[in-house]
Amino acid sequence: MSMNRRAFLKTTGAGLMAAAFPVSLVKLAFGGEGSIPDFTFGYISDAHIQQIKGTQFVRNWDMGLIRAVREANLLTPRPDFFMFGGDLAQLGKKEELDHGLEIMSNLRGKVRYVIGEHDYYLDLGKYWQEKIGPLYYSFDHKGVHFVVLNSILTYDKWTYETWPSPMDRMLAMARLDNPKGSPFMVGDQQIAWLKKDLAKIKQNTPVVVFSHSPIQKIFKPWNFWTQDAEKVQALLKPFEKATVIYGHVHQIQYNQIGNITFQAVMATAWPWPYPESYSQLANCLPKITVPMNRADPFFERDATGWQFVDMKSGKTAIHYQLPDNQNRTVAYDAATGKPQDMKYQDYSRRIPPQTHF
Amino acid sequence: MKTFSSFLKVILGATAVIFLACTAFAAPVGLPPVPVPADNPMTPEKIKLGDKLFHDTRFSTTGEVSCATCHDSKKGFADGLPVSEGIHKLKGTRNAPTIINAAYLHTQFWDGREPSLESQSGQPFLNPVEMGLKDHEPILKIVRSDPEYLALFKEAFGKTGDQVTMTEVKQALGTFERTIISGDSPFDRYYFKGDKTAMSPAAIRGLDVYVNQGRCVSCHRIEQTQALFTDNRFHMIGVSSNQMPKNLDELSAAVQNVKEKGTDIAVLSNPQTSSLGRFAVTGDLTNIGAFKTPTLRNIELTAPYMHDGSHKTLEEVVTFYNNGGRLKETDPVPELLSGGIRPLNLTEEQQADLVAFLKALTSPEFAPKKP
Amino acid sequence: MRNSRFFKSACLAALIGLGFLAISFSIQADDFTEGDLKRWNQEFMSVVATGEKLFHSSELGTNKVSCDQCHPNAANTHPETYPKFQQQLGRVITLSEMINWCIQNPLEGEPLPLDDAKMTALLSYITWERRGVPLAPGKH
Repeated sequence: MSMNRRAFLKTTGAGLMAAAFPVSLVKLAFGGEGSIPDFTFGYISDAHIQQIKGTQFVRNWDMGLIRAVREANLLTPRPDFFMFGGDLAQLGKKEELDHGLEIMSNLRGKVRYVIGEHDYYLDLGKYWQEKIGPLYYSFDHKGVHFVVLNSILTYDKWTYETWPSPMDRMLAMARLDNPKGSPFMVGDQQIAWLKKDLAKIKQNTPVVVFSHSPIQKIFKPWNFWTQDAEKVQALLKPFEKATVIYGHVHQIQYNQIGNITFQAVMATAWPWPYPESYSQLANCLPKITVPMNRADPFFERDATGWQFVDMKSGKTAIHYQLPDNQNRTVAYDAATGKPQDMKYQDYSRRIPPQTHF
Repeated sequence: MKTFSSFLKVILGATAVIFLACTAFAAPVGLPPVPVPADNPMTPEKIKLGDKLFHDTRFSTTGEVSCATCHDSKKGFADGLPVSEGIHKLKGTRNAPTIINAAYLHTQFWDGREPSLESQSGQPFLNPVEMGLKDHEPILKIVRSDPEYLALFKEAFGKTGDQVTMTEVKQALGTFERTIISGDSPFDRYYFKGDKTAMSPAAIRGLDVYVNQGRCVSCHRIEQTQALFTDNRFHMIGVSSNQMPKNLDELSAAVQNVKEKGTDIAVLSNPQTSSLGRFAVTGDLTNIGAFKTPTLRNIELTAPYMHDGSHKTLEEVVTFYNNGGRLKETDPVPELLSGGIRPLNLTEEQQADLVAFLKALTSPEFAPKKP
Repeated sequence: MRNSRFFKSACLAALIGLGFLAISFSIQADDFTEGDLKRWNQEFMSVVATGEKLFHSSELGTNKVSCDQCHPNAANTHPETYPKFQQQLGRVITLSEMINWCIQNPLEGEPLPLDDAKMTALLSYITWERRGVPLAPGKH
């Protein structure tokens, strides 16, 4: 295999010897425009800690979360805080949540949590609220207003009147392709709360919403869906800089609807297929999304990972850390007004692992 | 009549040369044709020159170390040591990889920091724990004045004396190394030639473990028509994970070491820096502790094993993999393991069979002599 | 004279006999009805249903993981591309062998015999969910 030295240095990044290495292992986000400083936060999501029996948990998912925490601890300079994006447990059991929290306790930095359906539907968030915190809330950090929603609720009838036992309900919601499933929603109570919460915020304050479900309508059969997405989007419409970061889908997705940028995060546990790979039904995957590099199932960490988010002038750039695969960066581009993949956005730049699904 | 016979002689001569060329450079059973860079075609003259350069101990500060010191043809083109020893028996941090079949690798060194045989060959001369030279000048001085080299370079490159540069030196070395190829092992004859008697029953059972429960084939590739036994990728399998930086301070120190000395010198100077593996080349956290998959051909001959020679026997290696990246089941599981490594639950018999299979990968020209 | 008459009758008898034979064969070969087709399809779908249950259950492995956790609606299994050269196994394999690999590895279970009823059920469900997609054997 012949490759001239210059090309080789470029691809392996040995040229970085002269560059950022070793002052910062992460590109330092320098001060942005106006009074909105730039900063970084980490995002770990969808761990799906699954109990087999007693103190035995599925080794594969454990390793995913352990690795993400370990890598996140090596990030330099340290991110301001961390988010956990939901689905810490697989079936919402106390043992699973405790085991997940034990692994997360090794993470050096403040962590805030978003709830996922796998955490919620066994006891409707009771243990979560005892051990972790409220199911929806907001906070401010360096001039950015952050909102955490519980976006995996569903119709009352399905939640309270359909299932013989809490575990039956949890198993029904755990099955992604369940024909007897029920769509996610934020619900009127939270919409009312969100309206009041955002009323206090100036229109030029950047707003970032953390949600488990997409706050979009992408593919209903797999609940890549939020039934009242338009209502939430309407509340975000007045803001100059609005972003939604969501989990649940276990794959790279991104979109722009009006003024709102949408970005999905990866799971530490396992990847999910893109909706187009289910040939029997149509889907609405955002057209600008460049798919993640196709996974090699023989490497169980492939197409899993975690990410850190650079806030630049109030918009986001997500750096996906993908072990056994290639890292990707999807950043909001002020020139086009849309998020884009920093390397592969143009179709001519795609490589076979992105087109050979 | 006379012109015809001389014409015939020319034709016959040319055919002989082509035949010789084809058979000399033809791929052995189980291997594809050797990749040859367009700017360095192979010739008998280059091979002869490269052979001499490879064995020349004058290219070191003590006059005692040559490429062949650590890549000894009698020791499977390695040196049988856990980590190699250069001038003054100075120890590095890494186990000498074999030259045999290195021509098929997409990158050279355990961390892939050099892209070709040619570019790799220039590095050990400059490493303080290998040949110890400050620069390549002492080499150039010798090859530009030594009478044998004057003639050999002229024959190989049409250049002599001051016309000779390190480019020609490295191209000759690369060409010589490209001839150190071997296939046609008992496995090759069994798998590609259909000779059912070529491997022992234990080795045949071991092949089944290798491609199924043992999962070895995922990285140490065997294919339908050829077997390189490597995927040319980098994986963190957990070897000596206790030497890796435990916290940000240790990581920053190792990284500082690389920046100050350059990757080649830094990684051989300090075990913790060495443990960074591919990360010292790419700076990518997902590569930390990852090393290149070596070929398994002739593995019987190149003990001890792994990037730091920390595994003495093939049995130890198999135990390590069976435990999912640990020598002892009670050792902690390395947190940054490649997704391909997990406990295998092999029985004692399966493990022994796997070792028997690995021993069937030795090519006949290197096979240990029977007493 | 008698011979030729006998011969003629023999031929006639043979012809008539063959005729009957022909008619009876044609009744057996062409005779399946809409009702048969419906019934046979139900037989098939019952095995698809068994496969769907197995695919969504923790029965096949030892660690409670089920196939649908990574493959909702059997998506991303690409049954239409088998047999193919599976580079991670170094040889051309069939869908059944790949299913067994998944059972052994992510599900940490025992492989199924290739003619096991469970394997047939899984194959039925997986291919059913991919119906209509053209064959593309060997496609990576």
